[in-house]
Amino acid sequence: MSFDVESLSSETVVVHMGEALDFRNADSFKSTFQAHVEDGVRNFILDFSETEVLDSTGLGSIFSLYREISPDDGKVAFADVSRPVQVVVQLTRTYKVFRQFPSVQAAKEALA
Amino acid sequence: MSTLAKEYTDLDRALDEVRSVLKEWYNEQAPSSSPSSETLRYTQLVLHEWIANLLQHGDFGHRTPAIEIRLKTENRHVACAVIDNSTGFDFDERLPSRDEVMDELPERGMGLRIINACTDTVSYLPTDSGYYRFEFSIPADHDPWLSMLF
Repeated sequence: MSFDVESLSSETVVVHMGEALDFRNADSFKSTFQAHVEDGVRNFILDFSETEVLDSTGLGSIFSLYREISPDDGKVAFADVSRPVQVVVQLTRTYKVFRQFPSVQAAKEALA
Repeated sequence: MSTLAKEYTDLDRALDEVRSVLKEWYNEQAPSSSPSSETLRYTQLVLHEWIANLLQHGDFGHRTPAIEIRLKTENRHVACAVIDNSTGFDFDERLPSRDEVMDELPERGMGLRIINACTDTVSYLPTDSGYYRFEFSIPADHDPWLSMLF
């Protein structure tokens, strides 16, 4: 499964996460962000509006993205976080690491 | 008391179906005895993590993997068992202790901790009939924030 990526600028993209980010497509997510990191993208807005499943492996792949871009002052922002994703975010206190925005539009404006 | 029982020989399918099955079951509950939507989400997450764990790491030898999910709720409390035909493992040995410090932003190793945080009691033990039984409970007033991961 590939991820739908919307380019906002040379440095910023929105990744529409779809229904699930779990151990079955975490590698696909990593390949997706890796290609954009190599192209110079440093800011990733993750759209979780349709996401019903975020499991530990999926979250681990987001941590991997963060570790890769944070030395270059890159940012990972969560947008329109669905309730199932919010449960995982709170359990893991991930909100301390990733800024959350109520909508993709709000994230775009903040990271522009 | 309301119960649910489902059997699967395709764990991938089980992983995809379990959310919709739980939602359907949840919608059939009387509001007065139904678990909260939060408890349902913890249940979904624990089942997803557990089935994913079996899919990735379970040793089924030459047997076709098979699981049976038994779930019941009473007075907004959830009790669930997943019986499998794998060779099992020592759950307590694999589960990191609560005071063990995790790596910062780890890529792996969070699944059992998430299960532990979402549940009040949890165990994985052999049964008399040669299977393994993963069992957990989530009380109505469960507070996962007492066992945060980080």
